Amino acid sequence: MNGFFYGVALQWKLDIRSKSLFVTCYIVPLIFFLLMGGIFTSVMPEMGSTLIQSMIVMSVSMGAFIGLPPSLIETYASDIKKAYKANGVPICLGLVTMFLSAYVHLMITCVVIVLLAPILFKATLPAQLPFFFLALAIYIIVSLSIGSVLGLTIKNQAKLTMIAQLVFLPSIMLSGIMFPIELLPDFLETIGQIFPASWGYRLMLDNGFCLENLWYLIFIFFTAVMVCGIILKKQKAK
Amino acid sequence: MMNRAIQVCGLKKSYDSNIVLNGLDFEIEKGETFALLGVNGAGKTTALECIEGLKKYDSGTITVNGKMGIQLQSSSLPAHIKPMEAVRLFAKWNRAKIDFTMLNALGIQEIEKKQYIQLSTGQKRRLHLALALIGNPDIIFLDEPTAGLDTLSRVSLHEQIRKRRSQGKTIVLASHDMAEVENLCDRIAILNNGNIAFCGTATELTDEIGEKYFIHIKTRQGNSTFETDNIEDTLVLLLNDLKQKEIHILDIKVDRGTLEQHFIEIARSKTE
Repeated sequence: MNGFFYGVALQWKLDIRSKSLFVTCYIVPLIFFLLMGGIFTSVMPEMGSTLIQSMIVMSVSMGAFIGLPPSLIETYASDIKKAYKANGVPICLGLVTMFLSAYVHLMITCVVIVLLAPILFKATLPAQLPFFFLALAIYIIVSLSIGSVLGLTIKNQAKLTMIAQLVFLPSIMLSGIMFPIELLPDFLETIGQIFPASWGYRLMLDNGFCLENLWYLIFIFFTAVMVCGIILKKQKAK
Repeated sequence: MMNRAIQVCGLKKSYDSNIVLNGLDFEIEKGETFALLGVNGAGKTTALECIEGLKKYDSGTITVNGKMGIQLQSSSLPAHIKPMEAVRLFAKWNRAKIDFTMLNALGIQEIEKKQYIQLSTGQKRRLHLALALIGNPDIIFLDEPTAGLDTLSRVSLHEQIRKRRSQGKTIVLASHDMAEVENLCDRIAILNNGNIAFCGTATELTDEIGEKYFIHIKTRQGNSTFETDNIEDTLVLLLNDLKQKEIHILDIKVDRGTLEQHFIEIARSKTE
């Protein structure tokens, strides 16, 4: 257990050192928050009531879909995974430590947004903070599980950049965080429903924490866990 | 079986239609230093990885008696990890205490502030050896431990291997360096086309291929290489000849040939 916690803490440090996760979990989301927060609340002051949720969906999507997968590729598409086998450690340990480390990074970014948004942009804090943080935790976990599938299935960084964008951009554009989802054509609204961002966004809104907004996220999470399990089992069998 | 550290019977492994190991059979005694030799692509690493449990094999049996320590090849650690962080992580995984004397001897503490990506080839290999030794294993696997190293690093690594050998550890190393293997190992197995072309001591190998030396002479006229089984007589003859012709020698080197040259000999003797 000691080794497990040391592994998670070490991974957290490695993520900071490897600029890619640091940039996608902290720098870009926080710059986006500072810029767009100002623009949104001055153009449409009513967005202050959903600014925190919108910026969090953007930050989590970026960190999970663009930040986490390269670290997984570095380990599972290379000889690094042999280090686990050579030491009699389960091959899934790398995934678990990277997942938990990325979870902590994203939670820190989200807490910074929650703390700064009311001060900088007069954004409204969620009415029920415990439910909000529970919804946030669930949304981060589900997004990271999709990031894990991307990182384990794609074998090179160039392909990953392209495919990650195919998940990231619709998550941002079609989830309702940039503009009301009702303004979208029906087919785009339907496509938006495929991605967990719109579900996570609704789950984090006031009075949004209900089974109606939760079931799809649970479904996505368990599907992703199964896919990751199958991929890791195949890797182990090789 | 009690005195055997490793027993390999009929080990077969192929990648699609490419047969890499075609029924290997060998045994390694406890406390023995054993080398798997072969040119690139001969199947050394595949054989080692099958024994280490890192790779699945198609058929055959492998029995390993003892705790294994595996020196992984370069690029098997995250780019930004620092040497001491890797050491601590591996020590925790193996529930072992860190042996600072060993780390000092391998110069790991000197490089503790660097990240893995910033280490030279030699430093990486020293780190991988340190990681392999962390759990105080009974059997140590080394894959091309000194490839790409400068002389100093090579000597220091050889010292460490000898030290473990004197402690009664079983050492299995894959290499394509004949001199290194002759220096360090009790027995050698030469892999060729997925089979063991030779298995025995260095003396037995010499007996099989005969005494063979290569004399490389560099003069202003160019470079020449001479093959001989009688080094003294040939050298005297060559030097006298060059002196008579008043050809000035710029450099002269004698070696026992590359592994490839020995392979050719072994392969030739097998087909004849």
